Amino acid sequence: MTKKTKITDLKPDTPKGQTRRSFLQTAMAGGAAATTAYLGLTQGLFAKESGPIVIGHQCELTGGFSSWGYWHDKCAKAAVKLINDGGGISGRKVELAIADTESNPAAGARKLRSLIQRKKASFIVGSVHSGIMLASLPIATELKTPYFSAGEATEATGSKGSRYSFRTGTDTYALAAAGVPWAMENLGKNWTMIFPDYAWGHSHHQEHRKLIEAAGGKVNDPIAVPLGTKDLVPYLARIPEETEVLFSVFFGALSVAFYTQQKSMRLDEKMKMYSVSGTIEAIDPRDIGGATEGVYFLENFPRPLEFKNDEPHKKFIELMDVDPVYAKENGSKRVMAKSHAWQSYENLFVLKAAIEASGWQSKKDTQGAIEALEGLQMKNSLSHPQGTKVLRAEDHSGMIDCYMSRVEDSKFVLKKRIPREELMAKLPPRYDFRKYKL
Amino acid sequence: MELVIALGMNGIVWGLIIALIALGLSIIFGLLDIINIAHGDFFMVGTVLAWFVLDTTGNYWLAFLIVPIIGFAMGVVIEYTVIQPIKNAAALSIVATFGLSIILQEGVRATFGAAPTRLVPPIQSTIQMFGLEYEVYRLFAAAVSIAAILLFFGFLHRTKMGTWMRAVRYDPETATAMGIPARKIYMITFALGFAMAALGGVVAAPITTVDFQAGVDILPFCFMAVIIGGLGNLEGTVAAAVMLAFFEGVMASFADPTIARIGSLCLMSIVLLIRPHGIFAGATR
Repeated sequence: MTKKTKITDLKPDTPKGQTRRSFLQTAMAGGAAATTAYLGLTQGLFAKESGPIVIGHQCELTGGFSSWGYWHDKCAKAAVKLINDGGGISGRKVELAIADTESNPAAGARKLRSLIQRKKASFIVGSVHSGIMLASLPIATELKTPYFSAGEATEATGSKGSRYSFRTGTDTYALAAAGVPWAMENLGKNWTMIFPDYAWGHSHHQEHRKLIEAAGGKVNDPIAVPLGTKDLVPYLARIPEETEVLFSVFFGALSVAFYTQQKSMRLDEKMKMYSVSGTIEAIDPRDIGGATEGVYFLENFPRPLEFKNDEPHKKFIELMDVDPVYAKENGSKRVMAKSHAWQSYENLFVLKAAIEASGWQSKKDTQGAIEALEGLQMKNSLSHPQGTKVLRAEDHSGMIDCYMSRVEDSKFVLKKRIPREELMAKLPPRYDFRKYKL
Repeated sequence: MELVIALGMNGIVWGLIIALIALGLSIIFGLLDIINIAHGDFFMVGTVLAWFVLDTTGNYWLAFLIVPIIGFAMGVVIEYTVIQPIKNAAALSIVATFGLSIILQEGVRATFGAAPTRLVPPIQSTIQMFGLEYEVYRLFAAAVSIAAILLFFGFLHRTKMGTWMRAVRYDPETATAMGIPARKIYMITFALGFAMAALGGVVAAPITTVDFQAGVDILPFCFMAVIIGGLGNLEGTVAAAVMLAFFEGVMASFADPTIARIGSLCLMSIVLLIRPHGIFAGATR
């Protein structure tokens, strides 16, 4: 626990008339305080080989992503507790410094700087909000701090990546490679994509389009819906009748609006509905009145226990205090953002492995930790309940198993597991960050 | 051509729902000179309360009665605690209602959770409308909106309270001198604005979603309707809301959706350039 400072402790004395002596006293005290503050701000950049290891967590506790943020926070805290109960990292306690991004890129980037410079975080478990993580990466790189993205925008481990940028989960590139072959074979070859008119949607469209067309499929004109739209009927009405697969990538409320309004227009009776887990994350199909019934979702982690029925998964579910079928928190209405939040849990164990393997002591040893992270192998265990995976050395991307599921009677039912080996074969690295300077 | 007609009609239906919400914003501005940034959140509170009524009683129709009453009561409390102390200070009203907006959003998030949810429409059938599979509930929602708007204008023009509201709006000093309880009228007007937005929330909840940020996106459209209709011009607000939604619907049938949105913003700019006080400015006050 950090010592709390009372607000009254910070209240300045009211000046009641100043003498030369009091002025000098104030000036000297101010100088001493400034020197102390400067040393405090910069000491993290230099050797600090004892005391806790501070890991920053950039998390969406409020705002539009807070239904996910709650789980990222819970996951990170659970991992830190397990690590500390087991003796910490290299015998040092882990201290988690949490910053609420307010689901806002400007606030998130500002608070990342504070996490690194003021809270002296040596590593960052980063945001799941693509806008925030993309705004944060240049700052993490500038401050030479390894940053783990949890969002899906491919740029984080692509065009905007750096030697400091990592991601254990999937991006739009990986999701397209994992889902398109199966969907083309089982759902249809004529596709229409509908998505929100911003980077995440366009990124999905570009990655999917390449693979669909390469496999001989047809992609109709995309429908990019302006952000903030409430009535989707004008956009749904533009979907061509010959469409066999309607691929949607909305988020949160817009996602629920999409499923609701397509259902009322009976589009699901005319074409197959396909999407990625981000569009149904933290939402229980039972709570949206059957609007997602029959929809196929590509997941990063199966929601029910039965489709990855092993001890680590079971223990993780117990740790998260959720039910094993719907992933709903016991005693509340919250649904676990399971396909993404596991990264905030596992990333702490990833860091533990890299720190211990490289003998990291302080920020000056960051190069060793980064080299240990590049190509790190992780085995299915309580530390990695999502499953065995590798953090690919070239593009710092996690190669994981993916799961194609369908909502049936409001339950996620597994249709196919896509093993990481199969995924890796279709997903050659497009960047090699090992060649980038530290 | 069928698609153009279908989307034009859908625009009118959606515009009527927006008109109901924007009308509340317009009466609050017209009488109190309050730029109410929290008005979208009054709508959001309506959607959440509708969901709550359905969840606890199992009867959605009850929400049409209960939610506006709760909205009215909340409006009375907010007018007394937030609006009254800053009356006649437009700049302060923006800050105060922005703060109120955050309180309402985060209050709902903390109480009901952050995950969006859905209300299953009480009428689930569809009809063929110019080649479009169209939800019957939307037509019902438009009918409720028309009824509520007509009731409101009936109240405004045919009751003593309505006459007082118009009198205070026209000249508060003279109205007070004539013995009209202006203070009470301010409170009732604000509460009525809240109740109408909340009713809009009940009507729209099965079409859109229920979540703590549901009001954020609806507010700009309401402001556009109020500005194009002429600030404080109630009939103008209704007409502008319907026209805007119709225009955007028709545009969306052949143009890129984003172009359609830009088109409606351009329309607003042109109207403001030609008629800075709104398209129906002549009838204001």
